[in-house]
Amino acid sequence: MSKDEIITIIAEHVRAVVPTLEAHQFSHDDKLKELGANSVDRSEILMMTMESLSLKISLVDLASARNIGELAGILREKLQSS
Amino acid sequence: MRSVGIESMNIFAGSASLDVKKLAEHRQLDTARFDNLLMKEKTVTLPYEDPITFGVNAARPLIDALSPQERDRIEMVITSTESAFDFGKSMSTYIHYHLGLNRNCRLFELKNACYSGVAGLQMAINFILSQTSPGAKALVVATDISRFIVEEGGNALTEDWSFAEPSSGAGAVAMLVSEQSYVFQVDVGANGYYGYEVMDTCRPAPDSEAGDADLSLLAYLDCSENAFLEYQKRVDGVDYATSFSYLAFHTPFGGMVKGAHRNLMRKVVKASPEQIEEDFERRVVPGLAYCQRVGNIMGATAMLSLASTIDNGNFESPKRIGVFSYGSGCCSEFFSGVVGLEGQNRIRSMMIDDQLKVRYELSMEEYDELLKGSSALKFGTRNLRLDTGFVPQARNIHAKETLFLKEIKEFHREYEWVS
Repeated sequence: MSKDEIITIIAEHVRAVVPTLEAHQFSHDDKLKELGANSVDRSEILMMTMESLSLKISLVDLASARNIGELAGILREKLQSS
Repeated sequence: MRSVGIESMNIFAGSASLDVKKLAEHRQLDTARFDNLLMKEKTVTLPYEDPITFGVNAARPLIDALSPQERDRIEMVITSTESAFDFGKSMSTYIHYHLGLNRNCRLFELKNACYSGVAGLQMAINFILSQTSPGAKALVVATDISRFIVEEGGNALTEDWSFAEPSSGAGAVAMLVSEQSYVFQVDVGANGYYGYEVMDTCRPAPDSEAGDADLSLLAYLDCSENAFLEYQKRVDGVDYATSFSYLAFHTPFGGMVKGAHRNLMRKVVKASPEQIEEDFERRVVPGLAYCQRVGNIMGATAMLSLASTIDNGNFESPKRIGVFSYGSGCCSEFFSGVVGLEGQNRIRSMMIDDQLKVRYELSMEEYDELLKGSSALKFGTRNLRLDTGFVPQARNIHAKETLFLKEIKEFHREYEWVS
């Protein structure tokens, strides 16, 4: 799965959690916090994304991502090694 | 199997509170999605309050209810805290003194962030189960205050930390543990624990806290799942949806609990969003009620949620409660016990709801003044007479004898009973 495909999946869940972002065009540099997602929203987005990807890893491993691009990068790495 | 559990239990959540929605507005935080954090009020420590006054005020009604013979069987006083003001001397020594307990008693303190209260409870349970001193009782006092001033410099530990201020409370839970498990009968051996090293939130300097909100939340979610899975391995026939009538969670703020519950219901129970919402309202919300009014009281929070569950749930027939504790750093535990009508009546006799209602509501001006002035009571203060003139009306708000800090003399803290 490509990084862009993963970003599309992340974006889908961000829109579900923060409905005001319905029309937002997501980019690699987007930060969830700056998009108005609080810490509970962010964890929710991560959990939903992991479920969509059928990925079973420790959530703590995702905490270092600073933007959506980096998050997609970590997820892609985990997918490849799982 | 010998019965063991909580004989009696009380909380003390201070004399002053703050409306945290007003605080968030006052701090100009982004409040657009504030409501889903499920926070309402928090207890604020007044200049003449500290972890000792909270702990003693919580424990005193439990001790007063005992006969002298029963009181003398308290052979262990554990303080569970991350707010101690001395690296060596345990706060349990002060609490033991102000409660007038028997000197043939073990006095010590436990730490692991918000897990400390449950760590203390489990140690007390094991002491009773060991039968090394048949008939003995143990007093566990989980007591904590907030130090939310962010450590300056560096950026790893400051991200989105602003929401820590509205969620950080102060207070204590006291539990008498014995073979008379009137309030909460422990399911012996039904424990799932899970811990590992992670730098999520911490108190790396004497008067401040630091934390990474995302990392902490993710570690909490990770642990709530893995601690339960371990419990399930050890206990036959456990079903997350049906084995527990109620779930009491460590509650840094309600929104975090909601996320953890949703995660487990989705993964373990495969429940639909509607089922999850109904289940949350029915099994989890009774335990959030007091936590939402006191704020996060760290080591005491999981047990505050248990008290809230017992007070606000329906126990006409005995019910099993699942309890989850998480402490940053981190260690966590899922365990369970059974509560009946007698347990609820004993908790209700403590009038916790009334105790929370009478707290003096601070204005933002008073609160800000307190933050500036609180620098007076720094870690390591050698000599100080406390200012009793700050919101003096809070001093007799509970309409009964309440312990307050009077003076620090050569590091020794001196207290007074005020009524």
